[in-house]
Amino acid sequence: MPDPIPKRTGYEGPLQRIDDCTWRIPKESRPGMRVDGLIFADDRLIDLVKSDRAAEQVANVAFLPGIQQASLAMPDIHWGYGFCIGGVCATDPAAGGVVSPGGVGYDINCGVRLVRTNLTLDDAAPHVTRLVDQLLQDVPVGVGQGGRYVYSPDELRGMMRQGVPWLAARGLATSDDVACAEAEGCIPDPMPELVSDRALARGADQCGTVGAGNHFIEVQVVDRIADERAAAAFGLHAGQICVLIHSGSRGLGYQVCDDALRALRDAPAKYGIPLPDRQLACAPLDSPEGRHYLGAMRAAANYAFCNRQLLMWQVREVFARVFDCPWESLGMTLLYDVAHNIAKMETHDVDGISKEVCVHRKGATRAFPAGHHDIPARYRDTGQPVIIPGDMGRASWVLVGGPRSLERSFGTTCHGAGRCLSRTAATKAAQGRSIAHELERAGVIARSRSRDGLAEEQPAAYKDVDVVVDVVHRAGLSSKVARLRPLGVIKG
Amino acid sequence: MHAIFEHTADLGIRVEAPSLEQAFADAGRGLFTVIAGDLGQIRTTTVESFEVAGTDPTWLLFDWVSELHAAFELRRMLFADFAVAIGATGLRATARGERYDPGRHRLAHEIKAITQHELDLHETAVGWEATLIVDI
Repeated sequence: MPDPIPKRTGYEGPLQRIDDCTWRIPKESRPGMRVDGLIFADDRLIDLVKSDRAAEQVANVAFLPGIQQASLAMPDIHWGYGFCIGGVCATDPAAGGVVSPGGVGYDINCGVRLVRTNLTLDDAAPHVTRLVDQLLQDVPVGVGQGGRYVYSPDELRGMMRQGVPWLAARGLATSDDVACAEAEGCIPDPMPELVSDRALARGADQCGTVGAGNHFIEVQVVDRIADERAAAAFGLHAGQICVLIHSGSRGLGYQVCDDALRALRDAPAKYGIPLPDRQLACAPLDSPEGRHYLGAMRAAANYAFCNRQLLMWQVREVFARVFDCPWESLGMTLLYDVAHNIAKMETHDVDGISKEVCVHRKGATRAFPAGHHDIPARYRDTGQPVIIPGDMGRASWVLVGGPRSLERSFGTTCHGAGRCLSRTAATKAAQGRSIAHELERAGVIARSRSRDGLAEEQPAAYKDVDVVVDVVHRAGLSSKVARLRPLGVIKG
Repeated sequence: MHAIFEHTADLGIRVEAPSLEQAFADAGRGLFTVIAGDLGQIRTTTVESFEVAGTDPTWLLFDWVSELHAAFELRRMLFADFAVAIGATGLRATARGERYDPGRHRLAHEIKAITQHELDLHETAVGWEATLIVDI
C-alpha cells in the first residue's frame, strides 16, 4: 500500500514583515521572480500560512510575464494548484502580460450572492428545519445531481452570450436581479462559440444546481451591524433573515478550464515562458491562445451568474411554499452577487500610470471603494458590497470595498475563511462524532447529500472568518458592515 | 495499489504498481474511490471500452484518468475494475462498472477536474509510481 499521507511540508522561504498585516517575499529570494510576493496576514494567521506550501505558490506566480506591482495573497490563503487560493495578480498586455487559467481555477466565476428578506429571526425560527428540508428536497445539491432546467447547446450559447438578462427575458430574473450582480450578470465580450461540446454537455442540466465540495445554500440571520450607514444602504438590519448562495459554473466551467489547460500545454515553450509549475500554464494576453481562453472563460462566467440566479429563483420558491405567500411579499431581493474566481480586464493606477490590466482573482473578491463607476448606482456612494462566506458553524460577513483596495490590491479583498484542515484530516477529526448533531446543538440545522460532506466541511476545517475579516479591515482592503450567523444549511 | 492523500482543499491519488498497465488501472480505481468513497458499492455489470492516444506516459495517464472522469460526468458511469493495454501510440482499456443509481449509491465527492499540479509518473526499482491531484 502506498504511503497514504506524505509528510506535509510547509514554507521555509523568506517572509519579511512590512507592517502588522502585510508580509513580503522579496523578489531577490528566487531567480526568476519579477516582483515581490505580498501576503496579507497578521500574527494570528501567519503560522497557518507557513504550514503549507501556499507561500511558495505566491512566489511562483511572481514569475509570470507582465505581472504588475506584486504577486498578492489574501489572509484566507491556502495551498492550491498553480496559484494559491486567495491569490491575486495583475498582468499588463502592453508588457507581454499573460493570462493563466490557473489564476482563475476550474470553477470559473465561483462566487456568492446574498438574498435579503423582510423576515426576522422570530418569524423564521419556527420554520428553519422545514425550510432546510424543503431546500434539500427542491434544490438540486450534491454529486451527480442534475437540475430541472435543461438547456440545448444553442440555448446555452445564448445564455453565455447574454448572462442573467437572458434569464430575465424568460421570466426567471427581475430587472433588479440583473442590476445587483457584478457586471450586471454579464461579463462583456464572451465567446460562447469557443466553449467545447463536452463543456456544453456537462453544463446542459447543471444550471440551477449547487454542486458539492464547499458549495452551499445557507439561511442566516444578521447578528451584528458594524457600520450602520453602509448597512442601511445595503438594506441590512440586525435580526434580519438572509440567504447566502455559494456556487459557480459547474461542469461547464470546469471543462472550459480543463480544455484551456490542454490547449496551453505547449504555449509556455512556444512563447519562451519559463514556469516553476506546469499548472501555471499561460499565454500572452495578446495571443490567439490568450484571447481564446479569455473568450471562453467569460462565457463560462456568464453561465455561473445564471446558475446562481436560478438557485436564487428556486430558493424564493421554497420560501414562498414554506411561508405560504409570494416571495415578493417576503422581500426576497438580491443584495449583490460577486465573483471570486475570475480574470477581468480593469483599469488601475500602476506606479502613477493608468493601465488596463488583467486582474486574476483566484479565491479573492473584487472590492471597489465608493465612487467607482463599476459599482451599481444604488451602492456607488457607499462602496461595493463584498460577501464573505465563513463556515457553517460560526459566521459570514458583508463588507464594503475599502479605501485602500485600489492602491494595495487592485481593488481586491478576501473571499472566505480559507481552509486550515485538509479534507482527510477533517474527516479523521470527525470520526465517532456527528457533525450534524453538534451543529444542531449550536443552533444550526445542516443537511448534506454526500457521505462525508459535513465532516469535510465542518467549522474546524476553516480558519476563523472573524480573524480573516479583521485583517482585510485593518489593511484597508474592505470594511466590516454586518456579521451574519448561520441558522440552516444545505451542502453538496 | 492506490491510496488517497491529503491536499488542503482537494485530494490526491498515489499509485504504486509492478507494471505501467497496472499503475493505470490502479489510478482508475483511485479516481472512483474518490468519487464513490467505497468501490464495493459498484457492481461490475457493464463494460465500456476506451482508447486514448498519446506517447508521453505521464500525459497519457492524465488523459486516461480524465476520460474516466468524463464518463462519470457525461454518462454517470461508475467503474471499479480496469484492464489496460499500452502500446506505442496510446492505450486501449476496458472498464467494468455500472450507471450511478441515486437510490443505491451514496457518493463521496464531486471532482471538478484532474489537475496537472504535481502530476507525476515515474519508474522505480520495483515498478511504477504515479501521483495525481484532483480538484474537489
